[in-house]
Amino acid sequence: MNGLWNVDKLQPRLDVVVPGETMTAVFWNAAAQRNQQVFMRQKQLGLWQEWTWARIAAAVREIGDGLLSLGFGPGDTASILANTVIDWVLADLAVLSAGGVSNGIYPTDAAAQVEYLCADSRTRVVFVEDDEQLDKVLSVREQLPRLEKIVVFDTEGLRDFRDARVISLAELRELGRAHAWAHPRQLDERIAGCRPEDMAILVYTSGTTGKPKGAMHSHAGIVFTIRGYNTIVAQDEHDERMCFLPLCHIAERLGGEYFAVYTGSVLNFVENPETVPENVREIAPTVFTAVPRIWEKFYSSVTISIRESSRLQQAAYAWGLSVGQRIADRVLAGESVGAALKLQFFLARKLALDNVRKLIGIDRARFCVTGAAPISPDLVRWYLALGVPMVEVWGMTESCGAATYTPAARIKPGMIGPACPYNEVRLDPDTNELLIRGSNVFMGYLNQPQKTAEVIDAEGWLHTGDVGTQDGDGYFRITDRMKDIIITAGGKNVTPSELENELKFSPYITDAVVIGDRRAYLTAIVMIDLENVEKFAQDRDIPFSNYASLTRAQPVKDLVWAEIERVNARFARVEQIKKFCLLETQLSAEDEELTPTMKLKRKLVETKYADRIEAMYRA
Amino acid sequence: MSVTAADVILRLANIESAYGPIRAIRGVSLQVERGRIGTVLGSNGAGKSTILKTISGIIDPRKGTVEFAGEDITAHDPAVVVQRGLSHVPEGREVFPLLSVHDNLMMGAYTRRDRDAVGRDLEAVYGYFPILRERSRQEAGLLSGGQQQMLSISRALMAAPQMILLDEPSLGLSPRLTREIFEIVIRINRERGTTLLVVEQNANMALNVADYGYVLENGRIVMEDTCARLREKDDIKEFYLGMKQAGARGERRWKKKKTWR
Repeated sequence: MNGLWNVDKLQPRLDVVVPGETMTAVFWNAAAQRNQQVFMRQKQLGLWQEWTWARIAAAVREIGDGLLSLGFGPGDTASILANTVIDWVLADLAVLSAGGVSNGIYPTDAAAQVEYLCADSRTRVVFVEDDEQLDKVLSVREQLPRLEKIVVFDTEGLRDFRDARVISLAELRELGRAHAWAHPRQLDERIAGCRPEDMAILVYTSGTTGKPKGAMHSHAGIVFTIRGYNTIVAQDEHDERMCFLPLCHIAERLGGEYFAVYTGSVLNFVENPETVPENVREIAPTVFTAVPRIWEKFYSSVTISIRESSRLQQAAYAWGLSVGQRIADRVLAGESVGAALKLQFFLARKLALDNVRKLIGIDRARFCVTGAAPISPDLVRWYLALGVPMVEVWGMTESCGAATYTPAARIKPGMIGPACPYNEVRLDPDTNELLIRGSNVFMGYLNQPQKTAEVIDAEGWLHTGDVGTQDGDGYFRITDRMKDIIITAGGKNVTPSELENELKFSPYITDAVVIGDRRAYLTAIVMIDLENVEKFAQDRDIPFSNYASLTRAQPVKDLVWAEIERVNARFARVEQIKKFCLLETQLSAEDEELTPTMKLKRKLVETKYADRIEAMYRA
Repeated sequence: MSVTAADVILRLANIESAYGPIRAIRGVSLQVERGRIGTVLGSNGAGKSTILKTISGIIDPRKGTVEFAGEDITAHDPAVVVQRGLSHVPEGREVFPLLSVHDNLMMGAYTRRDRDAVGRDLEAVYGYFPILRERSRQEAGLLSGGQQQMLSISRALMAAPQMILLDEPSLGLSPRLTREIFEIVIRINRERGTTLLVVEQNANMALNVADYGYVLENGRIVMEDTCARLREKDDIKEFYLGMKQAGARGERRWKKKKTWR
C-alpha cells in the first residue's frame, strides 16, 4: 500500500512521449500511435460510452474537412460555446487541424458577452451546444457581420427550425465527408502547414475590471507547456481523469484536454456541472485536477456527514485523521515514517480513511492537483492526512497554467512551491511581484498591444500581479493580488485573500470578500453555503422561508460570526474583521458577481453592495 | 411581513412532515394574517397538501409548531382543530356520496351546539350556492364535480370557522366553474371575514384572489411576497404563469434556471 512517505511513483517524464511541434501535429501523431486505445468516455442515456482514438480522429477529420468546405481559412477564428462535452474537444481539435484559431466561450455567459467575444475574436464559425446556446447567438448575430455559420452539437428541439446559417454538427460532418472526397489531401496539407509560431487558441480572461482580454497562445507555447507538465505531474495511458471544468478556462484546456492528448490518459466527461459529486465516485479518477472550490465542497460534505454519523464512527474518523496528520507532519518535515506509524495508518485507512476517500471518489487517486485560486493550507493538510498527495500549482492564463508547483515529496502547505523546471520565476526586487519568463508565456492580448506591453516587459518577464515572498528553498508564497492589498486608515497593509481563504475553509461559508481599504477597520461580505446553513437552521428549529430570510435569521448571523471569530483569532488585532454582512441573494454562475469558476469578483461586489458596505462603517 | 403578532391568525414555524422515510415538507415557516387570503403555490408533489394536512392535524409533524389564533395546535386531533375554528376542505372534495346534500352540510356542523346559528349558516350557504338548495334532498354522489366542490366548501362553512384551508378547489373543474367558485371564495372572505389559506396549482387564479403568497418547491419555500409583487417576478411568470419570452427563434424548449428572486 502506498502512503505519503512513498511518492516514488510520481516520477517526472523527461522524454517526449508524442512527437510534434504543433498541438495539431501532437494530436495526429498521438492518434496514429494509440489508434484503438480508449481516449474518452461520456455517458449517453445513462451509460458510459467509450471513444477510441481512431473514432475521435475520424470525427475530427470530418469536422475539419467540414470547416474547409465552408471556406474556413488558415488563421480564421472559430468559437465554441458549450459545456464540457466530447463535441467541444472534437470541434477544438478540428479547428486547429484546419489551421484556425480556437476560442472558448463560457456557456454561462450572457448574449451580450457572447457578442463581444465573437466580435473581438473575429469569429467566422461558432459551435454551440444546444438550442439554449443557439438562442444566445441568434439574438446577437445581426451585430456580428463576420459570423458566417453556426454549428449546433445537439439539435434536440430544433427539428422544425430552418436557417441558412445554422447547421448541425452531423450536417457539418457530412459536408466534410463530401469535401474530403473532392479534396482528399487538403486537410493534411493544412495540418502540415501549421507552424509552431502560429496562434492556436484564444483564452479570454474573466475581466474583473473592464472588458475581457483575449490571451493568445501559440502552438509552440502549448506544446512546450504540456511537455513541461509531464515533468511535474506526470501521467500516462493508464490514468483516468475527469473532464469537468469549463474547457474555455486554461486549467481544463491545457491540464485536462491537451495534456491528455499528449500523455494518452483517459478523459471521462461528467454529465453536467451539477452531477460532479456523483460522477467523481463513478469515475474514481487516478489523477484529479480541480479548483479549491471543489476541494472545499468535498471537505464540507465529509464534515457534515461525519457530524451525522455515530459516536463510534466519529471516533474512528478522528483517530484515523490524527494518524494521517502525524504522518503528513513527518513527511512535510522531511523525516522518515516509522513502521509502527505505517501500521497504524494501514489500520486507519481500513477503519475510516478509505471510506472517506471512497465517499469523495478519490480512493484511486495517485495524486490530486489544485490550482486557479488560492487554497487554505488547512485544506491541503486534510487531504494529506487522508494520504492523498495534494499538489498545488500556481499560474495564470497568460502563463499557460502552472508556473510553480509543490513537488509531492516536499509539500509546504500555504506555499505555492518553486518554479516549474521549464520556466523561470522571480520576485520583482522593487515591488515583490512575481514575474514569469519562459516559452509558456503567452503571445499577448488580441487587439490590445498596449495591454500586452503592460504585462510583458522588455526582458520578456510576465508581470503576474501577484505579490509574494520566497524562502531559502526557493518556495514562493503569494501574499496577495497587487491591486487587492488593503491599506487601512491606520496605515496597516492587510492581505485580504489570507483572511478570505481561512473563511472559505468553514463549511458554512462559500466565499467572502474582505473590505477595508482606507477604512478604520476591516469588514467582510460573506456568501453562505446554502446546503449546510439550511441544515444547520433546520436542526436547530430556526424558522426561515427563503434564502433571504435564512440570511437574516439571527442564529445564522451568530453562526457566521463565530466562524469569523475563529479566523480572527489567528490574526493580529488590526487584521481582524470587525463587522460583516451576508449576501441575501443566492448567486449562480450566470450572475455578474461571480466568475465562471464561482469566485466572487471583488471590484464588482464592492461597487454593487456599496450601500451595505457603507452601512457597516456607520456607527 | 411587518405585522404585529396580533394580526397573525395562523403561524407555522419550521414544520417538517414525512410519509415514512420520505420527507414531504422540509422546514416550512409561513403565516397568514387574520381576515386575509394566503396562498401556497407549487407543482405536483411540492408538499402543498401536506402542509394543510399538518395544520389540520391529519398528519403530525416531526418537527416545528403550528399556532392558530394564539394557541399551539401542533398535532392536535382534527376534531379539536375544527372546534377551535379551523376547517379543512380536502383535495378532491371528499363528500359523503350516499348522504343527501343537506345531511352532508349538517355533518359540517356536527360539533356545534348552537342550533339557531346553524340554521342561519345553512341559509347563508344556500345563498352562496343556490344549486345546493335545489339539490338538498339528492345524494351528494350524484352531484357534478363543480357542485361537489361547492358542497365541500359549504360543509366547511357549516362549522362556522374563523379560517378555512382550501386544497386545490380548481381540481378537475372547467375554467368557468373555477372562476365562479373563486368568486364565492372572495365573497366568503369579504362578507364573513373568514381567513383563507388556499393551495393551488392554478397559479394565475390563486395570485388574483390571494393577498400574500408562498412558493413551495421540493418541500421548501423558495419565495414569498405579496401576490401583486409575485406576479411580476420573472420566475413566477415563466414557471407558474406560462409566460415565457419566445427567444430569437420564436419558440423555446430549454428552461432557464430558477433563481427565485
